[in-house]
Order: sequence, then structure tokens, then C-alpha cells
Amino acid sequence: MSANPSLPNNRTLPPKEYALFKRILKCYEHKLYKNGLKFAKQILGNGQFAEHAETLAMKGLILNALGRREEAYEYVRRGLRNDLKSHTCWHVYGLLQRSERKYDEAIKCYRNALKWDSANVQILRELSIVQVHTRDLVGYRDTRNTLFQLKPAHRASWIGLAMSYHLLKDYDMSFKILDAFSKTLTIRDSYDYEKSELLLYQSAILEESGDLQSAKKFLLDHERDIYDKYTFHESICRLYLNLGEYGRAEAGYRKLLSMNQEDGAYYEGLAKAMQIADDPAAKLQLYRNVERQYPRAYLPKRLPLDCAEGEEFLTYLRPYLAAALDKGTPSLFTDIKPMYQNPAKVIQIGNLVESMANSLRDYGKFSKDDEKVASASALLWTYYYLAQHYDYHRDTDTALAYIEKAIEHTPTLIELFMCKGRIYKHMGDMNTAAQWMDEARELDTADRFINSKSAKYQLRANRVEAAAAVCGKFTREGASPMENLNEMQCMWFQTECALAYQRLGQLGDALKKCHEVDRHFTEIIDDQYDFHSYCLRKMTLRSYMELLRLEDVLRAHPFYFKAARCAIEVYIHLYDHPLQNKSADEQISPVVEAVFSDISIIYVTYAFQADRRHFHF
Amino acid sequence: MTLGGGRTALGEVTTHNIKQLKKLNSVVFPVSYNDKFYKDVLQAGELARLAYYNDVVVGGVCCRIDLSEGQRRLYIMTLGCLAPYRRLGIGRLMLDHVLQYVEKDGSFDSIFLHVQVNNESAISFYQKFGFSIVETKPAYYKRIEPADAHVLLRAEQKTLRKTNEEQVNHPTVNGTMSNGPTTNNSNHHNPHQHYNGRAK
Ligand SMILES: CC(C)(COP(=O)(O)OP(=O)(O)OC[C@H]1O[C@@H](n2cnc3c(N)ncnc32)[C@H](O)[C@@H]1OP(=O)(O)O)[C@@H](O)C(=O)NCCC(=O)NCCS
Repeated sequence: MSANPSLPNNRTLPPKEYALFKRILKCYEHKLYKNGLKFAKQILGNGQFAEHAETLAMKGLILNALGRREEAYEYVRRGLRNDLKSHTCWHVYGLLQRSERKYDEAIKCYRNALKWDSANVQILRELSIVQVHTRDLVGYRDTRNTLFQLKPAHRASWIGLAMSYHLLKDYDMSFKILDAFSKTLTIRDSYDYEKSELLLYQSAILEESGDLQSAKKFLLDHERDIYDKYTFHESICRLYLNLGEYGRAEAGYRKLLSMNQEDGAYYEGLAKAMQIADDPAAKLQLYRNVERQYPRAYLPKRLPLDCAEGEEFLTYLRPYLAAALDKGTPSLFTDIKPMYQNPAKVIQIGNLVESMANSLRDYGKFSKDDEKVASASALLWTYYYLAQHYDYHRDTDTALAYIEKAIEHTPTLIELFMCKGRIYKHMGDMNTAAQWMDEARELDTADRFINSKSAKYQLRANRVEAAAAVCGKFTREGASPMENLNEMQCMWFQTECALAYQRLGQLGDALKKCHEVDRHFTEIIDDQYDFHSYCLRKMTLRSYMELLRLEDVLRAHPFYFKAARCAIEVYIHLYDHPLQNKSADEQISPVVEAVFSDISIIYVTYAFQADRRHFHF
Repeated sequence: MTLGGGRTALGEVTTHNIKQLKKLNSVVFPVSYNDKFYKDVLQAGELARLAYYNDVVVGGVCCRIDLSEGQRRLYIMTLGCLAPYRRLGIGRLMLDHVLQYVEKDGSFDSIFLHVQVNNESAISFYQKFGFSIVETKPAYYKRIEPADAHVLLRAEQKTLRKTNEEQVNHPTVNGTMSNGPTTNNSNHHNPHQHYNGRAK
């Protein structure tokens, strides 16, 4: 990161001291803080320079890096007071503010610094990063413009400038800058990833601008230099489709299918290209053809279940289920569940699987008249499916009866105990649920997924300590599980923990967990900071854009929503029912006060959340 | 390997999955085994295996080396398969593993085990692999009926002469040799009861 302060104009120090000062900067850059302080002392120790502004500022900056924040501010401010015209002092002050995430303050400092040295590239870069980080997009564009004029030979100057226009949706300008830039590039013969990424980024800008024709032409003109073939074909197919060039789109999607048969989007695209998206019979024919071409592919067998109806649905369902049950596919119910939206299909599925269970029990075959004998575990998986089927309808008695049959058949299958736990959970009996989930966990203590499930069920049963102990089997040795889970930003745990505390009436603890989650989000957004300069250098432009867009809606994530809702409920409760108990009140009031300023923010987010359909979550 | 429409495989018994072996044994055998049994199984290395059918545990085998009566013998403590998965070759898979172990070792005098006298399927199973009934012990089992046990034995061809380095070279179940009922003068030789006692 280019967070190193720039050299001051040598206005006040004689050569010997100026040399020392330069060494302080070097030391700071290389994190040799002790040495830096030593050189600072050598300058400041000389009575004549005891108040040398820039040395004081640098000393402050180093102290800040050492975690001595208060002293740091003291020195930097003193330095600044001694020379308000020093860009170095202002720059350092800005860095200090930035390190505390006071971005607005930092911007002000950088602007002051630039007043005294308007062409200082280092400060301008710093400023631009803070601007894009805080989404001051107009400011960012202006700064990138200045930087571009100062350093037109730098690649990052071009890219940064183009991106700043892109962020402002000035696609035309953005594209032109990149186009001019790429003409300055000498194309290497060999594999040039960066060039390839740049081309894909350019075409994305064109496509976003709505000029699909140009985007298409651009992609086709540069096909040879684009190495990410999947993105190339996916983009070009999407363009053909949106341009109504269906024949080409169809050929494109067939090409994609030949590369990968397990991406549902390709089938969807192909159906649109063939203009049969609303024609179930034609789609079924399509799937049959693809299956004939790629007999080992899975999706051509699965997709017909979504569009077939009635008797025809059964003809697809039967072999599909039989194959999955015969092999033993733990995820089968999850796979079929989307069809439970359709009441007619639910009845068909239920009847079919019931009849399979009966024939398996009586004849060892999926159907009495089958030639093929089913595998020895088929009946087990069939019972397991039925347990989930009835649990879905909250017919818990029947669900339990089936899961018991399954356990009697094969008592070693872990999924059965998880399922049993889930049934009890749906009955509202969290204690028994947690007990069975833990039984499942004990059957394979190396399985982290089941470990987490068991911990979650413990939390649902309000057993926070037991849950932490369970998680502790996988957290770092020597660390307290609770702390380690926080370090690892294990948010599902912290959210469930907050809810458990809320139910237990331990409101302070609940709030603490909610705020831990909130802090993770702040941290994730802060972690963005380093990418602003990194991505410009590495040319991962499309990913960088995606990152910025994700960060903009980060708090729309369900984890945040759950924690925020819990915090809001607790705060409202505390407002309506002020705590009576004095000592508890004393414990909790600092927390309440500290975060009451945040509550408005949380409310806003809550409202924002209610409009979640705008976001892809 | 594919058997009866399913994939089968053997796997190790570890601290992580031993509870599966416990569950299995608790439904396959009329006798229940105590904690010491399972503690020893964890040390048994190749002499303990789980059998998988389509990735689900359906069988388990646990043996130990018996040095009583001046001989070196392999004793099969448990070898069992869940009822719905029988006659699919799972028992064979586990026993083959044991036989291979014994053959590779080359210094065993015999392999033996006890079965309840009415356990016809087990008797047929072992006979198929060259075991024969060499003795019948009355009242061998404490709390189950019938209490009598056959001793099934298969003599081995020693290919290697081993002296007394066994303890070093072979996994033996901890402690069974010193404090088990497997001393030379014991004519009521009952390795099962060393662990169990409690019939279900
Ligand atoms: C004994 C036992 C382990 C056999 O397991 P299995 O997986 O069914 O055995 P396999 O399928 O590998 O059988 C191999 C051969 O043994 C013979 N066999 C197995 N069970 C038999 C039975 N019930 N009747 C007749 N022969 C039998 C057959 O020859 C069979 O070969 P085939 O199926 O090709 O005819 C199983 O019945 C069991 O777990 N029983 C309960 C536990 C027990 O009593 N264990 C013995 C004491 S340690």
C-alpha cells in the first residue's frame, strides 16, 4: 500500500539533519519503528530543531504504528501547529485519521496537503483510494484525472481513470480511455492474461452501456486474445440472445454444453435461443436429445422433472428416484423439494415412493414386476425419503415412524439421526432435537458439518455452553472456542448465540453477540481498502468491480439481517421495560449508551432490508 | 468392489467413527461389549475393520492375537454384518482381510472363535472358509440362551518361524495376555467373557 508520507520540501533542515529525516521515512516504510524513533530523537534532541514540524509528525506516525495512539496524535498535532504549510504534516495527519477509519477527516487532511503541493502523486493516490473507498465517485474521478495528467505513462493511470468513469456510468468515456490505452500496448504473442482480462472488462462496459451490437463486435474481434473461454462464450451467447440472433445463440449454447453439461444456465439459454422456453414438450425433446448425446450427464435426467406434468411426470420421476434411491443419495429430498411447490406433483411423489417402499420390503425390487433387484440399501433410503416427505408436511407421527423403520434397518447411518433431530425440531421439542443431533455427531466426530449442526441445535435449546464446547472440538487448540469463533467470523454461531441469549433474557450478552456480527461486516468492508490499489496493479478489473458492487450491498446479507433484528428487538424491549435490577443495569447501560447512536443506523438497514428483493440474496 | 448392486470397501476404526462400530455390534450380537473392548479395538490396527456398503457402515470385524497354551493364534472376537446386508459377500470381505493378514504374517498356528451352538448361519459361513468345530464348551455364555459355544478353528500353515518378537512386530490387544483368562491352565478358556459378561 502506498501509505508512506512523501518527502517534505527541504525548507528548514540542514543537509545532515535532512539525511537523518530521510532515514526516518525509510525506517517507517520498512517497519523499523525503533530505528525510526532513534533517528527522530537525533534530530529533535538538537535544541535548534526540537520543534521541527515534520520530524514531530513522523515521530507521531511511528508511535501510531506502535499502537500508542494518544501520543501519536499529540506529536502529529504539535508538528502541524509548528508548520501549517507543510504538506508532509498534513499528509501524516491524514494517514493517522485514515488508520482510524475517519475517512472524511482524512480527505480534508489530504486536500490541505495538496494545497501546499498540488502535484504530489503519493498524496493524490492516497486521496483517490479514500475517495473510491467511501464512494465519493465524483471526487475519485477528479483525482484520477489529475493523476492521469501527472503520470500519463503509468498503466494504472489509464485504468484508474477509466474505472472512475465506469463507476459514474459514463460508459462511453470509460471505453474510449481503455481503447486508447490498449492501442499503446504491444501485444505479446504468448499467453497474456492481463490483456485478456482487459478485453473482457471492455466488453462488459459496452454491454452494461446497452450497446450490445458493439459489445458483440468487440468480443468477436478479439476472440483470439481472450483466454477465459467460458466467459467469452457465455458473454457472446447472452449478447446473441438479447440481440435476437437466435441461430447464433443456439450454436453458442450448444458449444457451451459440449464444454460442460452440468450448468443449468446453458440449458435455459439454449431453450431461449430455440424459442421453446415456454413449450414443455419441446423442452423435454431437447433434454432427450442432449441425453442421447451425453449419456453420462446428470442434468438431462433431472431437468425434465421441472417441466413434465401428469402421467409424463411419472415416467420421468420413476427412473430418476429409483436410480437415486438405489445408489443412496443423501441429498435426494433437497433435490426434489422445489417440486413440492406443485401440489399435484407432491401427491404423485408421495404415492410413488410409498409404493416403492412396499415393493422393496416385499420383493426387494422397486416394483414387483421389475427384473432388476434393488441394492440392499434401497429400502433404507426409501424410508429416509418418506420420513422427510412427511416431515415436510409436518405429519410428525408418520415421519417418526418412517425414521424408526430406517434406523431399525441400518442403525449406522448418520443422516437418520440428523433427520430424527430435525423432526423433533419441527415439533418444537428443541431438547430432544439437540439430543438426536448430538447422537449423529458422535457417530462421526471428524465431520465438521455435523459438528456445526449439533452446535446449532444446542443453541436452539438455549444451551450456549454446550454449543461452544461442541464447536471447541474444531476450533484452535488453546483458545477459548467463543473467542476463536469470533476471530474466524463464524457468524451463524454468533447469531444463533445472540438469539439463545435473547430467549434466556441475558440481553447484555445477546447485544454483545449482535455487535460482534456488526463488527465483522465493518471489517469486511474495511478489508476492501487494500484491494483498491492491488486490483489496479493486478488488472483483475472485472472481479474488482464485482467486489465494489458486493460491498455496496453487503449488509443486505441474511446474517446481518438476523443479527440486526435481534438487536432491534432487544433495544425495543429495553426501552419498554427499563431494567429494575440496579447492578444488572449498571452492567448493561454502558453498552446500551454506546450503541444507541447506532440504533438509527440499524433501523435504516432494517428498512433497507425490507426491500431486499432489489438485491440478489 | 461391487457386490449385490452396491460398492463395498473396508475402512479403519478410529476414535472418530468407533461409535458406529458400537451401534453395529449392539444390534448384531446378543452380547454387549464394555468400554475396555472398544479401547483395545482402537489399538488393534489391521485387526479391526469396518465394512462399507455404498458408503454406509454395515459390518465390522475385531480380532486379537492370543498367545495362550504356548501357541500363537488369531482370535476373532466379533465379525458381523447388519441383517439386511447379509449374503452379499460382506462377511467374506471381512474374513478375507483377516485370512490375508494371517497368511502375510506367516507365524500363526490357527485362527479360532466361539459361536453360540444354534448360530447356524455363522457356522455355515465359517465352514465355507475351512473352519471346523473342534470343541463344544458348555455354559460358555453367561446370560444368553443357549449358553453353550462351539469353538471353530482353522489350522494355519506356518511359513515363518517366529520366536518371541511378537509383541514388537504385531499389534496385540493391550493387556489381554497378562490379565485375560487366557492362561495355560485355564480349561475354561473364554475370551468373550473377558470383555462382556452382560448379555442383552
Ligand atoms: C456370519 C455372517 C458374518 C455372514 O456374513 P455375510 O455377509 O452374510 O456372509 P457372505 O455373504 O460373505 O457369505 C459368504 C459365504 O458364507 C456362507 N454363508 C453365509 N451365510 C450363510 C447362511 N446363513 N447359510 C448358509 N451359508 C451361509 C455362504 O456359502 C456364503 O456364500 P454364498 O452367499 O455365495 O453362498 C453374518 O451372518 C452375521 O453377521 N451374523 C451375525 C453375527 C455372527 O453371528 N457372527 C459370528 C460370530 S463372530
